[in-house]
Amino acid sequence: MNEAIAERVPPLAGDTPTVETFEALYERTFPKVYAYVASLLRDRSAAEDVTAQAFERAYRKRRGYRPARGTAEGWIFGIARNAALDELRRRKRRAALHADPEDAAAPTIEDHAERSLRREVVRSALTGLAGAERDMVALKFMGGLSNAEIARVLDTTESNVGTRLHRTITKLREACNDRA
Amino acid sequence: MTEHDAHIESDLRVIDEALERGTASAPGGPERELEELVLELAADAPEPDPAFAADLGERVRSGFPRRRRGGAPRVRRLALPKLRRPPMVALAGAASIIAAVAVVISLQSGQSEPEMSAVGGDAAERSAFPDGEGGDSAAARDSMSAPTPTVGPQLGPPPSADGGFAPGEQDRRIERSASLTLAAPDDRLEDVANDIIAVTDRYDGFVLRSSVSSGEEGASAGDFELRIPASRLQPALGDLSKLGDVRARTQAGEDITREFVSAADRLQGARAERRSLLTRLESAETDTEAESIRRRLDLVAAEVNGLRGQLRELRLRADYATVAVTLEREGDEGGSSGYGTDRDGLRGALDDAVDSLSASVELLVRVLGVAIAPALLALALWLGARTARRRRREAALG
Repeated sequence: MNEAIAERVPPLAGDTPTVETFEALYERTFPKVYAYVASLLRDRSAAEDVTAQAFERAYRKRRGYRPARGTAEGWIFGIARNAALDELRRRKRRAALHADPEDAAAPTIEDHAERSLRREVVRSALTGLAGAERDMVALKFMGGLSNAEIARVLDTTESNVGTRLHRTITKLREACNDRA
Repeated sequence: MTEHDAHIESDLRVIDEALERGTASAPGGPERELEELVLELAADAPEPDPAFAADLGERVRSGFPRRRRGGAPRVRRLALPKLRRPPMVALAGAASIIAAVAVVISLQSGQSEPEMSAVGGDAAERSAFPDGEGGDSAAARDSMSAPTPTVGPQLGPPPSADGGFAPGEQDRRIERSASLTLAAPDDRLEDVANDIIAVTDRYDGFVLRSSVSSGEEGASAGDFELRIPASRLQPALGDLSKLGDVRARTQAGEDITREFVSAADRLQGARAERRSLLTRLESAETDTEAESIRRRLDLVAAEVNGLRGQLRELRLRADYATVAVTLEREGDEGGSSGYGTDRDGLRGALDDAVDSLSASVELLVRVLGVAIAPALLALALWLGARTARRRRREAALG
């Protein structure tokens, strides 16, 4: 590990009492960041590029991180979201989860039929959501962020995030019921 | 909290708890359904390709080395200290303050005609060197080399070439006054005092009061109160300024037109009443009536005399400027130079420090006054640009 990497990022809010290196932050957040970006871009190759770009950008800007403005997760998701949105704009594509990249954990013969059916229903329901709603779902369930962290990423209040999230989930439940 | 809010809170809690546990715990019903949906969403997260994860992990561990093209040897660049990009708000604020400082300094340099202060009403003198005063005025300006702390606001319209005021205001009556502090070597004090009187005579003025002292350390050597015809004030001041080292010079003008017009009107009225009373006196038929009119005439006559005196005094004030000249020994920094009488030692240093602090605070207040508006504008622009950029990005979400 070189010196630059060894440079510590500030302690993460709440759960980590000691300072954390950028590498540790990467190890902890990489799968979630990738999942979030891939959900937005629905393109594995583009998701890999954007994820790598986001971490590199975060690494170069790590001295600009201010713990007082939110958790490290929120900070890195903000960078990843901007990179993903820039990519979407560049490619003039619409994020649509129905066109998700091939599912690495696609149902096999061994999977329960009911579970596979359920997953397809949910995916189908997701396609009916607006872009901002899909973004919210991706941040919450793919990224695993708390409502406060999402609020920080979206530059809004936690209560607003709660309301929007509830509305989105309600819409999703109704869509699932319709499709079931 | 309304029932709806409570419902939202409850659902959000179910969501968070299900995500934390990773399993559905509700026995059935809508809550169970919500838990299963949440878990389904979380389980459906795309997973990275192991090869990509390994490659990116390696890059992170090696600190994201810059990729070289074609394997060419890396050219070592001159290592310059890396500067963090300052935030836009700070840049905008700094730019505003720099602009404000420039504006304040330019305004102050525009005001700081040496040795001048012009105060008074709307017709007050605005400059001690109005154009058209010829060589005297220029010479007087040149002679103003000593510093002075008195720099006053410049108000009103510019004076015309004859030292009066703008067209349309020819009848205005302005009482002018000036003060001048001169310094001269001890052996020339008497000569300078005589020259002051000579200059006063040359301009058809007169010395109202004068006092000259000698041999007193730190005291002013002479004080003169002069009356100079107002129309010749500027050249007279120019000549007086040539007599010694000018330490301070101030001028003021006060509009006394209203007082003058008021007194003239009242005088006219009193005279008309006197004429009327005289007419009535001629036609008075009884002694009692005549006596009453005479008593009234006496009162009116006294009023006329008083008003004529008042008018005379106002004319004098308008026609003759008051010039106070203080003569100091060269080397004395005291007197009316504006620097106090004890500038040496600790007290002088403290006074200087307080003066400097006051000047700094004054400059700061001026800078802030000028900077606030552009800073707010810059902040609004920055916020607007930030919002627009965010919206442009989020438009990609559809």
